[in-house]
Amino acid sequence: MSLIATESLTKRYGPRVTALADLTVTVEPGIIGLVGANGAGKSTLIKILLGLLPPTGGSARVLGLDPVRQGEQVRARVGYMPEHDSLPPDLIAAELVTHLARVSGLPRTSARERASETLRHVGLYEERYRQVGGYSTGMKQRVKLAQALVHDPDLLLLDEPTNGLDPAGRDAMLELISRIGTEFGISIVVCSHLLGEVERICDSLVAIDAGRLLRADRISSMTTATGVLVIEVDEGTEELAEALAGLDVGEVRRDGPALLVPLTGDDIYDRVLRAVAERDLPLHRLDQRHHRVAELFATETTETTETTVTQS
Amino acid sequence: MSVSEANERRPPAGRSAGGAEQPGRQPAPAPGSDRRGGSSVELTGVSRWYGNVVAVNDVTMALRPGVTGLLGPNGAGKTTLLHMMSGFLAPSRGTVTLDGTPVWRHPPVYRTLGLVSEREAVPGFLTGHEFVLSGARLHKLPAPRAAARRAVEMVDLVEAQHRRVGTYSKGMRQRIRVAAALVHDPAVLLLDEPFNGMDPRQRLHMMEVLHQLGEDGRTVLFSSHILEEVAQLSGIVQVIVAGRLAASGDYRTIRRLMTHRPHVFTIHSSDDRRLAVALLAKEPVVGVELDPAGGLTVRTSDYGTFTRALPAVAVSEGVRVTRVLPTDESLESVFSYLVAS
Repeated sequence: MSLIATESLTKRYGPRVTALADLTVTVEPGIIGLVGANGAGKSTLIKILLGLLPPTGGSARVLGLDPVRQGEQVRARVGYMPEHDSLPPDLIAAELVTHLARVSGLPRTSARERASETLRHVGLYEERYRQVGGYSTGMKQRVKLAQALVHDPDLLLLDEPTNGLDPAGRDAMLELISRIGTEFGISIVVCSHLLGEVERICDSLVAIDAGRLLRADRISSMTTATGVLVIEVDEGTEELAEALAGLDVGEVRRDGPALLVPLTGDDIYDRVLRAVAERDLPLHRLDQRHHRVAELFATETTETTETTVTQS
Repeated sequence: MSVSEANERRPPAGRSAGGAEQPGRQPAPAPGSDRRGGSSVELTGVSRWYGNVVAVNDVTMALRPGVTGLLGPNGAGKTTLLHMMSGFLAPSRGTVTLDGTPVWRHPPVYRTLGLVSEREAVPGFLTGHEFVLSGARLHKLPAPRAAARRAVEMVDLVEAQHRRVGTYSKGMRQRIRVAAALVHDPAVLLLDEPFNGMDPRQRLHMMEVLHQLGEDGRTVLFSSHILEEVAQLSGIVQVIVAGRLAASGDYRTIRRLMTHRPHVFTIHSSDDRRLAVALLAKEPVVGVELDPAGGLTVRTSDYGTFTRALPAVAVSEGVRVTRVLPTDESLESVFSYLVAS
């Protein structure tokens, strides 16, 4: 059974605004990145999947359930972390999460236990007995994640979970998400604008653009090698460039501090390394260039043109 | 848009004959001189406290033409620093100067300074064009319409300029604010979290805009939490930790200066074990670890010696090396070292 499946899903707001247009996509369990421009329809999709908004046309299935007719059952098995700061400032985190656990149908005592456990799990210890209003952005994000997890859902929908976090906070949040996905086996849909983040923690990606499906694929198939070898030496780049040009290894190009050589065969590795060793140059980096998820959104410039040239 | 270009992006020292001046030094034009020579912002012993809270503590730094990233954990004092640079806030101690002129209580500096603050405050009832034009008029520019047109073109909002700002997306609002800050063609542009809330395409576009401004010889400083983007846009960073300047300059150079931390490389080869044995025999290698999934992790105390030894060792052992990655040279790891220490 697929995690999420939509069939010609369409949502219009009034006669003029089309948020989703004929979106058909099937998502398998795992950690899934949901990306798209602002206004591409991500939030609309999430609301439909949660059964909070009826679609104008088409259908959706979440964990095999129909969110239109079985909205409550869907929400009992799905946890949702909203993007915006939506926490009441005068509530104590432990009370808030306990309350939301009860809303999700847990009895009083187990709601309290689960809330305490989940808050600890997301990294809030003594602070959980303080009012949310005094929390930092990172702590608030953790509370939002805890309330999404408290009823032990099968699927988590996270809307911009790293928004407003500083580098250390982002790192911790990504680590946490990836642990929830791999250790607890909970499927997670992460909305993010940061493609590097998506590349790091997700197994697959769904990109939507103007309400339509742009691409749905495994991350690994979007970051395949490009057949270009990147060589970076700490000094003597010019010298190496000349040496490589004399080696008949194909066209040697420069990209900032790096030299690019088409990887026409495995012997290229040996010839490049020998050239570096003979000149006693400090080898900083040697790697095949990989495609990036960002290319999906790049305009016709830079990388994309480069890779087509070299693969032919 | 490569990182290393940040080094070469500084405009030539101009009139200095014979190249006697070091390219990295301050171009130091006289105040009010042609700004294409580059403007610089200098902070000398700057502190700022709010009651007993020290937000910025004895910071001395200089911003040169080109793009510089301002980094630091939340609450490190980045916004306070930006506000002092833009003359909105008096330093409690020390001085902030723009080409030698103090910025505090000196409104004429706004002819050479533009600021895009973090909080967006754009009147939604104005069109983008009107908003930028009002900025041009407030600056009393001789040709406000032409200036507004040029600024709107620069951020690529020509088509949407006659729509109300209230209908703009987040990225468009951010760009129109950049246009308003640029309308008087300032030599210095300060931006507080300009990428916040932008989607991938908008981010790419904003990066191009900032890169171009730096290329043109403007001094651009932007704060950000997304280190990957900072590294792509500019290798030059100023890192603030707990109100103090923890490091400044090219992050790769900063990394090299942290000599007490061993450098870590990930290497993939045709015969990892053989290469590991050969490498361990070399002086600067302090540890080798074989990854069960393939590849090896090498720790070395001496970057220069190791990077020269590696190719030679691999060639003499007849091992094919398919990948060498400096795993802790990224801005992420440099930043986390700085914050931790």
